[in-house]
Amino acid sequence: MTTSAPSKNYADDVSLLVVTLDTNPFFWSSFPFHFSEFLSQVLAFLNSILLLGQLNQVVVIATGCNSCSYVYDSASDKNHASTNGTMPAIYSNLLHNLDEFVAKDQQLTTPHHKPGTIPSSLLSGALSMALCYIQRAFRSGPMHPQPRILCLQGSTDGPEQYVAIMNAIFSAQRSVVPVDSCFIGSNNSAFLQQASYITGGIYYRPPQMEGLFQYLSTVFATDLHSREFLRLPKSLGVDFRASCFCHKQTIDMGYVCSVCLSIFCEHHDKCSTCRL
Amino acid sequence: MPEVRIIAKNFMDMVASMPTIKLDKLYENGFICEAILRSLPPLAKKYVLQLFHIDGPVPAKLLAEWVLPDGLSKHKVAIDRLVQLGVFVEALDSKNGKTYKVNPTYQRSLQKLLVHGGTLPRESMPSNITVRLPTLEDLETYALEQWECFLLQLISPSHVDKTLNISSSLMKVFQRRLLSQRDREAPKLTESGFQFLLMDTNAQLWYIIREYITNSEERGVDAGDLISFMLELSFHVIGEAYNINTLTEFQRNIIKDLADLGLVKLQQGRKESWFIPTKLATNLSVSMTESSSRKEGFVVVETNFRVYAYSTSKLHCEILRLFSRVEYQLPNLIVGAITKESLYNAFDNGITADQIVSFFRQNAHPRVAQRIPAVPENVTDQIRLWESDLNRVEMTEAYYYDEFPSRDVFEGACDCAREWSGLLWEDSKKMHLVVKSEVHTYVRDFLRRQK
Repeated sequence: MTTSAPSKNYADDVSLLVVTLDTNPFFWSSFPFHFSEFLSQVLAFLNSILLLGQLNQVVVIATGCNSCSYVYDSASDKNHASTNGTMPAIYSNLLHNLDEFVAKDQQLTTPHHKPGTIPSSLLSGALSMALCYIQRAFRSGPMHPQPRILCLQGSTDGPEQYVAIMNAIFSAQRSVVPVDSCFIGSNNSAFLQQASYITGGIYYRPPQMEGLFQYLSTVFATDLHSREFLRLPKSLGVDFRASCFCHKQTIDMGYVCSVCLSIFCEHHDKCSTCRL
Repeated sequence: MPEVRIIAKNFMDMVASMPTIKLDKLYENGFICEAILRSLPPLAKKYVLQLFHIDGPVPAKLLAEWVLPDGLSKHKVAIDRLVQLGVFVEALDSKNGKTYKVNPTYQRSLQKLLVHGGTLPRESMPSNITVRLPTLEDLETYALEQWECFLLQLISPSHVDKTLNISSSLMKVFQRRLLSQRDREAPKLTESGFQFLLMDTNAQLWYIIREYITNSEERGVDAGDLISFMLELSFHVIGEAYNINTLTEFQRNIIKDLADLGLVKLQQGRKESWFIPTKLATNLSVSMTESSSRKEGFVVVETNFRVYAYSTSKLHCEILRLFSRVEYQLPNLIVGAITKESLYNAFDNGITADQIVSFFRQNAHPRVAQRIPAVPENVTDQIRLWESDLNRVEMTEAYYYDEFPSRDVFEGACDCAREWSGLLWEDSKKMHLVVKSEVHTYVRDFLRRQK
């Protein structure tokens, strides 16, 4: 796996920001802050990232319950032609794609939905898609912007995604891609805390949703180069509990395979992951 | 060694030196605010973003709290830059000490830009009128050709096939510091001229534009309007045609000059004429470090000191001739060698080893560009060694004192010279003294007083 070499000829703060946007309708219907207001603050934030540099890039991935999809890429050619004078291109394209995505996501049926619980959004899928895009950016040539991932998440963690998310986190760590998390839900998200801790990103829960833009622009807009000089929010405690591979429940104590280190809650003769 | 270096600073420094009233007027244009924002150091950009929705003043201490002790120097640089450009307004508050606030005009323009997006003052023309629009590749080759032609004309007017329409007085302005002309001799490149040639295209472009702007100020044209028009131009879309009617008279004259430099391409339809911005134009607002005009490199340097340049351009041949011995020229290849004589020639003309090495690095052929290092180390080391050969001897003007009557007078003279930090050499046994020429008068007065 190639590690990213620091881009030599670019200014230090050219960044590629991949945002995973939580669009879980179950979460948003029960959340006091409205999705449209949230989205307008996020869009203003994305616009300001693009404003800061001609070569900055923004990619938005929508995270639904059943699927994820790329809804916006600032580097694609479609964005050059402005549709009409009033709304800038970033808004119209993104909103259009987001509408399409949400409609499609609703139609897909959920295979494992436990009644009484809110289904979680597919963070693992979104992280994987983000990392794929970033890998492509690494291979695009000798000079590339410095990538980072920002997860805007509100839904709770789904323990069934533990393995996939940890894999994504480790591959992000290997490629030196920090994963920032802006968590707006009620309790802390263990997955995102771990992600930011392991990859060297920032985990932050904004105290007030009305000022989201201010929090985003103060904390999350810092490019990777300037982070060495700034005091940024440090996580107080990270919940490192794992979930078992067989039932996908969070456990404190369990059995570990000595070969592949998969975690189980009950004793098994043969490890299901490595068959040894 | 000559110390003169032309540093083509980007136009931000020019903007920074403008008086505040003019700056305020400039900041009414959203594009200028955007361009200035993009040119700031990264920490400064962050501060602008943080404060730009806040209306009241923010104490400086609050901003400084965010910074780790290592970063304090960068913090200071960023704040100084912001205050210099007039983006931050400094004020002294009795309670909180120094406070900063974003310049209200700047804030308003930037907020408008963020919420509504930038709209250019003109729209691109519909495609039914603009026929024969060049493709992007054609446009880029056109821009490069024009620029090279301009450069050739700048440095050696005799070698050019195609002369441009730039008035000779304007050419003289550009050549002011690059060429020196003595009577009855052909104009020769000065040191600055050599350094100019070796800079990359963006830096050269900035130098020329800067000269153009300072010259237009002398001619009575307002620099602020010129700068704002050029910045606006840099936000236009490459390859789209814009009607000339949308320009004022003043802007039309500028467009003609810019067309000669290769920044725009002028075309004429049946009834209307239009201009098409090229990549050089959109690079105007890009800061010096971000350079998206990465043209294909063409030079391969080998470990046996041979240089192979896959290029047909005369300009490249001239540049290579500056510091390497061009042996022969094939239809698509220039072959040369780096020799001690050729390098000594270059160093005499004021080119430094660093410039030569960075020229090779920046223009490395794609085949070798991915190699680390792009230029073989033995070549770079040898170039530097040859350069330091010329630096072995350092010369200072001095005076030599001899035949002191007594040791005390000699010691006194040494001390006197040391006080004025002008003592270069002394030999206590033979009582000889060498002092710097600046200090000579003091030592002489001291000796006279002794007699």
